[in-house]
Amino acid sequence: MTNIQRKNHDKYMLIATLPLIFCGTVLYGARVLLLCAIAIATAKVVDVVVSMVRHEAFDSTDHSSELSAVVFCLMLPVNVPIYVIVVSVLMAVLVGKHFFGGKDVYPFNLAALAMCCAAVNWSDKVFVAVTPFSKVDLWSGYTTGATVTTAGIVKAGGVPTHTTMDLLLGNHPGSMGSDFVLVIIATALFLLITKKITWHIPVSFLATCTAIALAFPRIYGFPRLESLQLELLNGVVLFTALFMLNEPTTTPHTPKAKIIYGITVGVLGMAFRYVGGFELGSCFALLLVNTLDGVIERFADGTLFEKKAQKPKATKTEKQSQPKEENLKKTYKAQPKGTMDIISEAEDNIDEVLYSTRTISLDEIRRAEAEHNARQKGDK
Amino acid sequence: MNDLLTMIINYFNLAILAIGALNAIFSRALGISPGIKMLRDPRKNTFYFCGALTVFQIMTSVIVYFAAPMVDTLGFGAYRRFVLPTIIVVACAISYVVVIVLLSAVLSQGRFREIVQSVTGASINSAIVGTVILSQNYGLNLSESIVFGIASSIGYFIAMLLISEADKKICHDRVPQAFKGLPITLIYISVLALAVYGLTGHAIAL
Amino acid sequence: MKNKNYSLIYSNWDETVRRRKVFLSNPVFIKGLALAPLVVAATSVKNGLLLCIAVLFLLTPTRFVTSLITRRMSMPLKTFFYPFVSAIVFAFVYYFMYKYLGTQVLMLGVYLPILIVDPLVVKNFEKTRKEEALYSIINGLRNTAGFAVACLIVSAVREFLAFGTVAGFKILGVGILPMAQYSFGGFLIVGILCAVWAQMVKNYKHKVEVEALHNERFADNDN
Repeated sequence: MTNIQRKNHDKYMLIATLPLIFCGTVLYGARVLLLCAIAIATAKVVDVVVSMVRHEAFDSTDHSSELSAVVFCLMLPVNVPIYVIVVSVLMAVLVGKHFFGGKDVYPFNLAALAMCCAAVNWSDKVFVAVTPFSKVDLWSGYTTGATVTTAGIVKAGGVPTHTTMDLLLGNHPGSMGSDFVLVIIATALFLLITKKITWHIPVSFLATCTAIALAFPRIYGFPRLESLQLELLNGVVLFTALFMLNEPTTTPHTPKAKIIYGITVGVLGMAFRYVGGFELGSCFALLLVNTLDGVIERFADGTLFEKKAQKPKATKTEKQSQPKEENLKKTYKAQPKGTMDIISEAEDNIDEVLYSTRTISLDEIRRAEAEHNARQKGDK
Repeated sequence: MNDLLTMIINYFNLAILAIGALNAIFSRALGISPGIKMLRDPRKNTFYFCGALTVFQIMTSVIVYFAAPMVDTLGFGAYRRFVLPTIIVVACAISYVVVIVLLSAVLSQGRFREIVQSVTGASINSAIVGTVILSQNYGLNLSESIVFGIASSIGYFIAMLLISEADKKICHDRVPQAFKGLPITLIYISVLALAVYGLTGHAIAL
Repeated sequence: MKNKNYSLIYSNWDETVRRRKVFLSNPVFIKGLALAPLVVAATSVKNGLLLCIAVLFLLTPTRFVTSLITRRMSMPLKTFFYPFVSAIVFAFVYYFMYKYLGTQVLMLGVYLPILIVDPLVVKNFEKTRKEEALYSIINGLRNTAGFAVACLIVSAVREFLAFGTVAGFKILGVGILPMAQYSFGGFLIVGILCAVWAQMVKNYKHKVEVEALHNERFADNDN
């Protein structure tokens, strides 16, 4: 994907969240708008401050932080305290994005990182469901309609009793914006038809989830189709498939790799759901798979073992001058030595490679990627 | 038959615990300095390093398992907790000497030179000492402590592979100057550990 | 006078870095030693103090004894001699800490015993130069000070973020970031503090360079 498409992707996705925000506002009141505004404002402020600290021009075309903030916000219940949103967005945008180099190069999905941060820090405030049309205080978030989430009911061994129609419409206790299944499907179809997203990752992810849900129903003796309905229409599976898995920065680029990526997230996400410590499996799974996308790309190319990760060569630290690697090897070759001497040499001089910081320029990575893609096209 | 099944399940649980919830790097942070150093050192190989670590782990566990009760027979039973680290260090040294002698006898000199740096780096570090002390504290029997040691080393190996995959993502010039090198590696490990924590939940590592 | 100081520092920068182990070559934040206890065990100032006490009584005596004995030893032997000495010293340190500080020493679990093989104490990963006995004491104390500063900063920050208190005194009613008490929070906070420290060292070095060059250029004018 070129740079321009990346920018546009974030913009279109941001627009695609508007129907969900609207539905959420209808069901849960104006606090949805307030929370989304706070999340966006936090993300924007961090972006501006970082660009000032780094003495760089502020890039107004980069919307990845805002998109992640809104997507994260829509997964929360409406009565979540404001500081949870502020701290989690800060964690995602500052730590997850800017510490790793800013736009186009951050390694982790920001919305997933924010959600994981919120989940481990304030699990009692995040894993709550709010009954639709219950009265919610705008600023404090106080409500009498807070109940247990559906996933929580299943974890506790109960059986949720929502009708299929309610599940499709999102008319059951849940989060601000991730439960409106019909709206999400309609948005996804629109984005697919207008070619803003590709089908590979969402379809492979959902197919994997379906297969696992059919094969291993979570509730013992539960009909398989109802189990499938429970797994797919509840929680954030569809929402994840559309809004989090399609982010171009953290996903592989070739179609084959994309399909494997989707399957991996599906398997790990369901595993996290079934045996994990938290109800929200797919976000943790997504973070873990983000670290594996290099492996997945190599696996898709069939070069998993051929192209080993190259280790950085020992670079000169600023004040020390040490023999280069080649020279060391030459000395080894020139004078055959005993076992003890070899070990001594191995122990010596190790301090010099201590945390040597090798840098690759971003252009270099891009060039390598372009070459790789060109080679692939040539093969076809 | 039933006993055998229970035993296998028991071992399996122990192994999963050591790889996941008590992962050497993500949960216990053991052996992190030598590990990062190993990844940055062009003369060391991850496979040799972790293989050697596994071998040392097993040998040290076995030696300590038999040597630790000897403290009681010598009359230092009340001070076992304080003497244990010394026994582990001696056990490490013995296993290192055995491995080096065997390797130098079996391998050609060029091959030996290739491997010895990784082996020496893995010889004595906190991953081994910490794991052996833990298995002693838990009161594991011989086979259990061997399984625990192997699984710990596998967890260490997996963690190292995941961290080495990060090189392309955290060594480019967009990373802020102050974060290059050690700090960004630690932050990357932190996010990874967060993800692993989601699967395993909290386990007390002390 | 102050400006001349900068020139002096600039002219033997290496030596200055080697000496100032609290700031310029902090064993934790710059060299990355002894990370495991800080990442997992140093969750409160109390734990941090216990770690500092253990290092204080472990590091300098170990270095002193080894510098007396290992003069003529070859390298592989040294590698194992250091941990052996430190393990024996540690047995006494651990015993007396347990006797006088009580069971809270045991709360640190494996994170006190693993100090004996930490590169901070045993130096087996560092370049070996022959150490005079006196120098080894001074160097050991410098390293201890560097570790203590880093340890107290990390533990105070983690305690504040996790529980809203510092050394037991209530500052905020509730922790801002409860994950600071877990190991992944520890990794994050140590990583960020390392970066902050590296930036401070860089700024200081820049200042020294600028002042020294300024002195060089205008030295004639002063005379």
